[in-house]
This record gives sequence, structure tokens and C-alpha cells, in this order.
Amino acid sequence: MSPAWSFALARLALALAVAIALGLIFGQLALWLALVLGGTLAWQYANLYRLQRWLRFRSHEDPPDLSGVWGDVIALVGRIYRRKQFHKRRVRQLLREFRRLSAALPDGVVLLSARREILWFNRAAASLLGLRRKLDFGMPIANLVRDPAFAGYLEGAGGGPGVVVRLHDQGVDRSLALILVTAGAQQLLLARDVTRELDVLEMRKDFVANASHELRSPLTVIAGYLEALEDEPGLGADWQGPLADMRRQAERMRRIVDDLLELSRLESRGEEAPLEPVDMPALLAQLARETQAAAPAGPRLASEIEAGCKLLGSAHELQSIAANLLSNAVKYTPETGTVTLRWSCDAAGAHLSVADTGIGIAAEHLPRLTERFYRVDRGRSRDSGGSGLGLSIVKHALQRHGGRLEITSVEGQGATFTAHFPARRLQQICNNPGLQYAPTPETGTGGAACTERD
Amino acid sequence: MEPADLGQHISRRFNEDMERVRTRVMQMGGFVEQQLQQAINALVAGDSELGEQIARDDYKVNQMEVAIDEECGRILATRQPTASDLRVMVAIIKTITDLERIGDEVEKVGFIAARLATMETPADHYRAIRHLGRLVTEMLHDALHAFARLDAEEAIAVARRDRNVDLEYEAIQRQSITFMMEDPRQIRRALEVMWVVRALERIGDHAKNIGEYTVYMVHGKDIRHLSLDDAERQIRESAQERQG
Repeated sequence: MSPAWSFALARLALALAVAIALGLIFGQLALWLALVLGGTLAWQYANLYRLQRWLRFRSHEDPPDLSGVWGDVIALVGRIYRRKQFHKRRVRQLLREFRRLSAALPDGVVLLSARREILWFNRAAASLLGLRRKLDFGMPIANLVRDPAFAGYLEGAGGGPGVVVRLHDQGVDRSLALILVTAGAQQLLLARDVTRELDVLEMRKDFVANASHELRSPLTVIAGYLEALEDEPGLGADWQGPLADMRRQAERMRRIVDDLLELSRLESRGEEAPLEPVDMPALLAQLARETQAAAPAGPRLASEIEAGCKLLGSAHELQSIAANLLSNAVKYTPETGTVTLRWSCDAAGAHLSVADTGIGIAAEHLPRLTERFYRVDRGRSRDSGGSGLGLSIVKHALQRHGGRLEITSVEGQGATFTAHFPARRLQQICNNPGLQYAPTPETGTGGAACTERD
Repeated sequence: MEPADLGQHISRRFNEDMERVRTRVMQMGGFVEQQLQQAINALVAGDSELGEQIARDDYKVNQMEVAIDEECGRILATRQPTASDLRVMVAIIKTITDLERIGDEVEKVGFIAARLATMETPADHYRAIRHLGRLVTEMLHDALHAFARLDAEEAIAVARRDRNVDLEYEAIQRQSITFMMEDPRQIRRALEVMWVVRALERIGDHAKNIGEYTVYMVHGKDIRHLSLDDAERQIRESAQERQG
């Protein structure tokens, strides 16, 4: 038994003993007992009252000075209270440090609820996204960051490489890279200012486009005069060789400039190619005819084209994809070889494949083939007169159609280049004559469906 | 009414419906904002393809308007909102009409940008149009922000800025007339440019309207045909009445 309880029980026993003694001396034992017990009860109530009063105002009042069990209770409560205060201070300090840290972060951080409402954001997010403290808490983020690209990104699950949006707030234009990270029921939106990076990229693109454009006019003049000189009878026969060479090189330069322009055009356009119906079987058949006609002594050209399999995209870019793949194959295949052009559709999408029985490509070159000006064999490629940009163009044009390029090859036995197009780019046939196949109007989805005819 | 009051409803489903339709309005606004920005870019850069693309995409704005309108009709019919909720619905229906009109003006700018791309760029590279375009895009942006935040003060500030747009419009008009008199060969282009300037000025008016609907939504005051000073005073008075 704890000393406090022993003391309390001893005190009660003493009080009872005194009551009995007084009752025996003065008579009326019951009255004395009742008096002493009543007094004890009153004293306990008084203590209870003081305890309750202190608990209510404990933050600015000293604990009452009580003895025995009451004192014990007060000491225990005091200890619990102090411990809680200590933890509270620690949590508050941690929170303050976290706030200070997040405020110092150069990137914007926004905490979102599962329904994409703003719960909290740091200082960088406030200035980058133009958010206002208090006022914007609880607001759906899509109401304030209204870029359609971001809306499309939010509709998807988020994650991935994120999305770049352009915001103009308080007279400043900014490009922000936004990434949505899911953490349990909540989500974190990270915002980074990429204005400078994009500006540099933009400058590079502009430079290439402008330089190519400027090179074009002098080239036209040179090629024109070379052509005139070749027909000039006054020049000796020993000039014919060099002149033909100059003509060929001028022609090659023109092709490089054209391809550079095409590439910068592809880059400067938006992310997605338009959704115009393109009759791929007709386009490919025409292309095969032209290729065979341009090189009648070249390799045999076989085509396996699935009729009725049409795409939604840009006719110009699709033509450029097929032409580049086909001319590459013809260039690297000996005259005795075969180039096979295949076009097919299935549930996964559409597939354009160009297979040749040419020299093939060593495995170490495969990943770098689509880089600009990448050459497997420098000398050989130059002789063939390619610009070195064909596969870059194919890659970019394919990306704009949501597709990807697959290359397989065995050295010495040929190579197969396959362009895969996603199923959403397939033009399906709408059986009901009242319906037409058209792009779906929702922004960001980029799909198409059978809808009612206008 | 405090903005927070709009968030308290007995029916959570109703609340969610309202929030969703509001977010769709903001999405429509975002799309129109982007279209406007790109139309000005297309004009300044002489990018005919981009200009045509923008003009073609106007149908998306129209479809969004129809979809939101239907949604509002459904909410009005099934939930029968009253008081502040009803004001929100009315403001939304009016706002999307103005957004759709802005879309039409942007379509016009897109067409003209495509046409002007074939002509020589003027020496000042459309500096005046860029400036006016900036004023108008910022007005639209801030009007939509005020709408999202139920911020009546900001909305009135936006409506006030329409005056600057009008002044700029007049200045460009005078400037164009001078150009035309100096060099009659410029008349064709100057006329096309005037169409763009006119469209931008109209967009400023629509942005002002959106600001006014926001004031109506928050305070229940129709300030459309009042001077802005009167409007501000009325709002202050009614706010004091509520407090006192």
C-alpha cells in the first residue's frame, strides 16, 4: 500500500477513534460519528472542487497544495500535462521546421486531397502558380490551373513525366513542369519553373529552322547554274565529271536542308498530329509504284497491304514516314534482294513494316539509329546520298501519332523497321449510315468515335 | 454572403454536382484562354497553320457550352436550387455564354491570322496588337480567377480594366487611320488588323461581363448598368448592413 493511502486511512481511523472517544465521554455516540464523518465528507468535496477548478484553469494557476491521495492525483495529472505540453512543443517545432524547409524549396509543392482540392502549398507554389493563402484552400486545383493540357493530365492518373503548362500571371510568362505524385489518399503536385530551359530549346529550334531556310536560296542559285553549265557545249569533256559531282552534292545539300526544315516543322507543331482520315492502302500502293519506278534496276519490291485499314493522322507526315523507311530499305539492299512493304491492322493498332534482305545493322547501332546525323558507316552512307535525318523524321512524325518505331536486324541478313500506330488512331468503319467517324470533341483525349452525322 | 457559405449544403450530392459544373466552366475558360493566347501568337508569328487550327477548334468551345448548359438545366430541374445556389447557376449560365462569344471572336482572330500570314509583317511586328492582346488575356485570366475564388473585389477590379482596353482600342484605331492615309497600299492589311483589334476589344467586354456575374453571384447585386464606383459603394453598403 502506498504511503499516501496508509496516511489517508490512518487519518480516517484517527478521526473515527476521536469521534468514538468523544461520543463515549459526552454520550450521543451517533451524533459525534455523524459530525466527524460529515466533516470528512465536506473536506473531500472541498478538495474535489479545488482539483476541478485547477484542471479547468491549469494553464495559469498553480496547483492547489493538497496532502495525501489528493496530492498524489494532482502530481500525476501535472506530470501527464507537462509531458503532453512537451510533445506538443516538439510537434510544433517540427512543423515549423518543416514549413521553413518547404518554404526554402525552389520547387512548388501543393498537397491535394483525393478529389484534387488544395490542402496546403508552400511559398514557391504560391508564387509559381499564383495561389493565395487561405483563400485557395479547399479549391479544386483545376479551377486555378486551367491549362487544357493539365486538365487532360489530371483526368489520367497523373505520374509519368508530367506536363508542361504556360502560365501568365501578374505580367510574367512562365513555363512550368507539373508532376502529380500519389501518396496514399492524398496527392502531391510538384511544380518547377522550366522557362529558361524551354527558351534555350526554342532558340536552338529557331536557329536550325532559320539557318536551313537561309541556306536554301543560295543553294537554288548554285544548283541552277550547275545545271546550265552541264549543258554548255563550250566546256571540255574533262569538266563533265566534276560538274556532275557538284550537281550531286548540291542536290544532297538541298535534301539535308529540306529534311532539317521538315524536322524543325515537326518539332514546332503541337504534341499530337491532327485526326484527318488518311487512306493508307492507297497512299502506300502509290508510294511503292513510285519507288519501283525511280529505281527500276533496284531490289524487287513486294507489298502486302491490307485493304480497308485506314488511319487518322496527317497525310503529309504518314507519307514521310513510309517514304523514308522505304527509301532506306532500297538504298541498303543489293539489286538481287527483296524489300517487303507490309501494312496491317489488328486490335493493338496498325503496323507498317518494311523488311529488307540487305546488309543489316549491327546490334550496337540499333539504339542510336534515330539520332540526327548518326551514321553506321560514314563513307558508305555519304555515297548513297542520304541526309542522315530520315529516321529522326520518322521517329518524330511517329511520336506525333502516338506510335513507336521497332527495329530488328541480323547483320548480313537484312533489317525490319516496323512503325506501330495505336488503336485509337485507327479509322473504324461506322456501319450505321447515319453515323460518321469523327474526332471526339473532349480536349486532351485525342480519340475518335462514331457520332451522329451533322 | 461569405464565400465559405457556398460550400455548405444539406445534400452532399448536390454540392458535388455544383462543384463539378463549376470546374467544367473553369475548364472551358482555360481552353478559351489558351485559344486566345495562341491566336495572338499565330498572328504575331505569321503562322497560318496555327491560325487555321485555332479557327477549326472553335467547335470544341461550342460543344463545351452546350454540355455545361445541359448540365445546368439538369441541376435546375432536379435540385431546384434557391438563394445563393440559384445565383451560382444563373452566373454560370451567363458566363458560359460570354465564354462562347469569346471563342467566336478568337475564331475570327485565328482566321485573320491565317490570312495575314501571307502578307508582309509590318515594321512594328504588331506591337500594338501584342500589347492589347496582353491586356485582354490578363483580364480574362483574372476574371476567371475571380470567378473561381468568388472574389468580388477582384472581379470589380477586372471590370475596371476594360476602360484601358477601350482606350488602347481607340489609340490603335487612330494609328491605323494614319497608316492608311500615309500609304494606301497598307489599307488592306490595316483593315484586317482593325478586325482583330475590334475582336480583342469585344473579348475585353466579355471578360468584364464575367466579372459582373461574379459580383452578382457573391453579393446578389446586379451591377451591369451602374458605374463601377456606384457598384462598389452599393456592395460596401450592403456588406455593412449585414454586419450591423
